[in-house]
Amino acid sequence: MAATAGHNNLNAKLVLLGDMGAGKSSLVLRFVKGQFLEFQESTIGAAFFSQTLAVNDATVKFEIWDTAGQERYHSLAPMYYRGAAAAIIVYDITNADSFTRAKKWVQELQKQGNPNMVVALAGNKADLEDKRKVTAEEARVYAEENGLFFMETSAKTAANVNDVFYEIAKRLPRAQPAQKPAGMVLVDRPAEGSRAASCCS
Amino acid sequence: MYGTKSKIDLAFEYQTQAAILRPSIHSRRANLTVKFQDLYGFTVEGNVDDVNVLNEVREKVRQQGRVWWALEASKGANWYLHTTIGQGSALTSSLKFSALANAITLKKLIRKGIPPVLRPKVWFSLSGAAKKKSTVPESYYDDLTKAVEGKVTPATRQIDHDLPRTFPGHPWLDTPEGHAALRRVLVAYSFRDSDVGYCQGLNYVAALLLLVMKTEEDAFWMLAVLLENVLVNDCYTNNLSGCHVEQRVFKDLLAKKCQRIATHLEALEFDVSLVTTEWFLCLFSKSLPSETTLRVWDVIFYEGAKVIFNVALAIFKMKEDELLVTHHVGEIINVLQITTHQLFDPDDLLTVAFDKIGSMTTNTISKQRKKQEPEVMKELDQRIRRLNSLKMEGK
Repeated sequence: MAATAGHNNLNAKLVLLGDMGAGKSSLVLRFVKGQFLEFQESTIGAAFFSQTLAVNDATVKFEIWDTAGQERYHSLAPMYYRGAAAAIIVYDITNADSFTRAKKWVQELQKQGNPNMVVALAGNKADLEDKRKVTAEEARVYAEENGLFFMETSAKTAANVNDVFYEIAKRLPRAQPAQKPAGMVLVDRPAEGSRAASCCS
Repeated sequence: MYGTKSKIDLAFEYQTQAAILRPSIHSRRANLTVKFQDLYGFTVEGNVDDVNVLNEVREKVRQQGRVWWALEASKGANWYLHTTIGQGSALTSSLKFSALANAITLKKLIRKGIPPVLRPKVWFSLSGAAKKKSTVPESYYDDLTKAVEGKVTPATRQIDHDLPRTFPGHPWLDTPEGHAALRRVLVAYSFRDSDVGYCQGLNYVAALLLLVMKTEEDAFWMLAVLLENVLVNDCYTNNLSGCHVEQRVFKDLLAKKCQRIATHLEALEFDVSLVTTEWFLCLFSKSLPSETTLRVWDVIFYEGAKVIFNVALAIFKMKEDELLVTHHVGEIINVLQITTHQLFDPDDLLTVAFDKIGSMTTNTISKQRKKQEPEVMKELDQRIRRLNSLKMEGK
């Protein structure tokens, strides 16, 4: 089962996928510890974190698997996304190849993953506007076509980081996942500006 | 975070004062987390007990050094280089006997640890790196690094990306000089074996090899012998098939040697590969304190890759009681992470690894690998086909 519910308490397995250096670990570090490191140790295999969020009437405890980005580690990925309730697919807005990789991950999850999985597409490094290679519009259209919700984030400035997790928490099916598929509502939100999500640690 | 500075100051204070603290004060302060440098310059976090353990380890390292020097004095310099049995039929039986006796002494001695000053020399000879180097012209490494200078490949781009992300903050590795040395070793190797090219994880392994071996060239040859002779084939290539094989072999061993743990974790639907994959790919360098990692490597380079299984099993075995009362994935990972990060005394780990796990020979492991290989290959192949069919649909 993907997300297990108690009385208003949910445990949800979440996996981060995406190209090497897109900023997966940085997003997690920002969300879990509120920190940012310019040079984050490269992840081997995967790293585990947990963080709890209060959403409306419920608390969601995320069990986060932050995976290694190098292509050859791809063969390990099923172990991490198996049974996941949610996924964040991360690309780097300054790197077009990383967007291509992100699309491949979307395809793979659609085919192999849990059909009710809440999938977010995160265009990270949104602070590097002058080096942008992937437009927000292009990504938004792609996300819409594929039933993902999309946000541009910056682990460095914290913009939208908590929001991605908060949105996922809101969209997680509250009852048995098989009976209530996740919503496919597209969130259209400007890239700039960070809004504080109601995040408790 | 506020208060960090004062914690660092405390660390220095404790390093000098810890030995004379009264037990009552000691135990009260043991809950404080302090930052301190370990034997190889890594900043680690721990409590006062950990600082004390590390000081004891430093003392044990010195004692072990004296043992090695005494043996040099009685058996002759470099005696350990002549322990290989069966070389040359001209050896008299008495010489063979002394070689055998030396081999037994050496095995025990290495399990107790090679003193850091002797590590470069002993590793280089006993691992087979010296022999490997001797088969090519003297200038091989220099020629190779010069020939590949300025070349850009996917591997070099990934290496460049990882340089500042390899043990960031280390006083030597995280300097322009350290980055340049690590880069040359990794780039040179990526050209030596294009099937491996560069695999994330090797950055940590090569970085530690540099710290130990001191020279780039020796670190390069250690990396070569490790990947080409010590570890299972294809551990780092293409789809990491060798690593997949090792994970399956490990799961079987865990079920056999630590049955209760394996049953409990399986009931919680916890796949041990979630944590052990990193151990196997980085050879514990990202999980264990540096001296503990290098003590494991001491034995790997002499006895082979089976040692990785001994050590990984030992980490689970040491925490059997705690693991058996976990209810949740997060708890299991916490137990294992805290355990590995705090294993400052290598003997705590190695005693369990070699005395409590039961013997495993390289032969047993090889047989297990052969058994698992077809299944792994089948699975990886199926996966690739599924993904390819996905691409076709997408067109």
